[in-house]
Amino acid sequence: MRRTAFYVILALAATTFLYPFLWMVATTFKSPAEVGGLSLLPDQPTLDNYRLMWARAPFGRALVNSLFVAGTITLSVLVFGSAAAYSLARLNFPGRRILNAITIAILLVPAQLTLIPMYTLIVQLGWVDSYAALIAPYAFNATAILILRQFFLQVPRSLMDSARLDGMGELRILFTVFWPLAKAPLAMVGILTFMGAWNEVLWPLLVVRDEQIMTLPQLLTVFSLGGGAGPRQLATKLAAAMVLVVPVVVAYTFLQRYFIESMASTGIKG
Amino acid sequence: MASVFFEHVRKDFGTATVVQDFDLQVADGELVVLVGGSGCGKSTILRMLAGLESVTSGTVRIGDREVTHLPPRERDVAMVFQDYALYPHLTARENISLGLRLRKVPKAEIDRRVRWAAEILELQPLLDRKPKQMSGGQRQRIAMGRAMVREPAVFLFDEPLSNLDAHLRGQMRHEIARMQRRVGTTALYVTHDQMEAMTLGDRLVVLDGGRIRQVGRPIDVYRAPANKFVAGFIGTPPMNFLDGRLEREQDGPVFVSDTLRIPLAAERRPELPAGSGEAVTLGVRPEDLALADALGPATIRGQLVLAEVLGATTHLHAEVGGRRLIAAVPSGPSPAPGGAVSLSLDPRRLHFFAADGSSLLLDSASP
Repeated sequence: MRRTAFYVILALAATTFLYPFLWMVATTFKSPAEVGGLSLLPDQPTLDNYRLMWARAPFGRALVNSLFVAGTITLSVLVFGSAAAYSLARLNFPGRRILNAITIAILLVPAQLTLIPMYTLIVQLGWVDSYAALIAPYAFNATAILILRQFFLQVPRSLMDSARLDGMGELRILFTVFWPLAKAPLAMVGILTFMGAWNEVLWPLLVVRDEQIMTLPQLLTVFSLGGGAGPRQLATKLAAAMVLVVPVVVAYTFLQRYFIESMASTGIKG
Repeated sequence: MASVFFEHVRKDFGTATVVQDFDLQVADGELVVLVGGSGCGKSTILRMLAGLESVTSGTVRIGDREVTHLPPRERDVAMVFQDYALYPHLTARENISLGLRLRKVPKAEIDRRVRWAAEILELQPLLDRKPKQMSGGQRQRIAMGRAMVREPAVFLFDEPLSNLDAHLRGQMRHEIARMQRRVGTTALYVTHDQMEAMTLGDRLVVLDGGRIRQVGRPIDVYRAPANKFVAGFIGTPPMNFLDGRLEREQDGPVFVSDTLRIPLAAERRPELPAGSGEAVTLGVRPEDLALADALGPATIRGQLVLAEVLGATTHLHAEVGGRRLIAAVPSGPSPAPGGAVSLSLDPRRLHFFAADGSSLLLDSASP
């Protein structure tokens, strides 16, 4: 009995999270007359909202831009983050402790505080309206370094020694010994970074004005602000939001095992 | 294969010196065991030879080459680690062959060497398994196979059997000795285990506080320890020590303590200190003590505290003048714990150590 009550509470809690999302999905397939309703099943399902969205703004191009920008940022964070984590965890060099402290200190600085200096820098570099402006500021991530460093500290020293005797250099040790062992934390860092980069709006709004370089959330924001407020417009905006959400949901579906594994092993909670 | 030379090698970690003035020559094909307590520097010496630890001063040579500052991959050494250090994501075959693949050895040659190692170590059924699918002993054999296929100039073993249970340890000890004899590669073996130290090595290097205390054949080190440290460290149970003095009498030297007066056998007379009555420590191995029926000139009387029956041998722990002595005697009827016990010493098998710990016997090997 207690068990049943427990599951009922869990189901109710899940519904409060799921319903708004499912409503959004359903609304994108509804005709303007149905948009205001709470039903999750459209009476006359239609793809008009998607067609309209696609016709009114370059969402295809924005999708490609977003994939390119978020993908590049994720790859950079994984490569540079793990290289930095490896050296901070396993190499002896002067200043290692200070670098470690600086990495932790960076986490304490709010992103809003660095926004203006970073913008000034991008302007001075002449990178406004370029992919470099979208990618470079996010290519290194202190959180990723700390998560990976913590994992690398647990890898037995003998494994590194053995790899060195086998003839490996440091980069090869990192990518052929440490990376296969660190699938879970790498997946977690990858997902978090990708989601962060994918959903980023504020920074692209500051440094990109050219529609051809805009990312999906940026274009969606611009589109929402200028698209009117009628039922048709709402459904079209939600269809655009769907394009934004689907890739993340798909990626999470494939990588959730590693994500949960890593959350459990590192004790990091959302 | 090659000989190995350490010349005045020193290693500091910050302000702490862990190895000092280490001089050792290992002959081609020889298996030398480095033995000592925790923190004596034995693993550091091995790691310096492998290039995994820098040398503070001194020279390390492998054959004709000075390797003091060469990176590990250029030293031509292979190492077997205590925790096996197998790559968890690779199969046994991939683990064994990885070092060869990185050195761009032709595939046919890699296959030949893997087959050869697998045959010697009986690894065939394990080759396609990953480390987590194997037992500790099997993993250790894979680690040995990985070292073997490299056909290195020197094998290094860093306490390779410490993670195994007693039965498997005995089996693997035999395996390592057999493998080393068969391939004939120079080897350095680090352990804190007496049994491994005594049975495996052609020579034994006893270390304490980063210094060599004695080098010699295991049996020589056991029979003629160069100093009190080695005498107490090598041997299980350890050597018994009694403090006293040596007196010169007409019939020859006599050891005198509060509880004992032993005329010394002619063939075991120590080099006496210049003056009579100098303080010395007498050492006697547990197996050189025997149960005595009556009090004789070389008999100690004490109280039996504990009798440990190990099978063929019994360890008798006796309290003598506030000191604990252990006698290893053949199992049989013995006094009950708490009762009096008489133990006789064999005067021909006694050891004597000066106040500075050095042996006073003529035939002791020098450190």
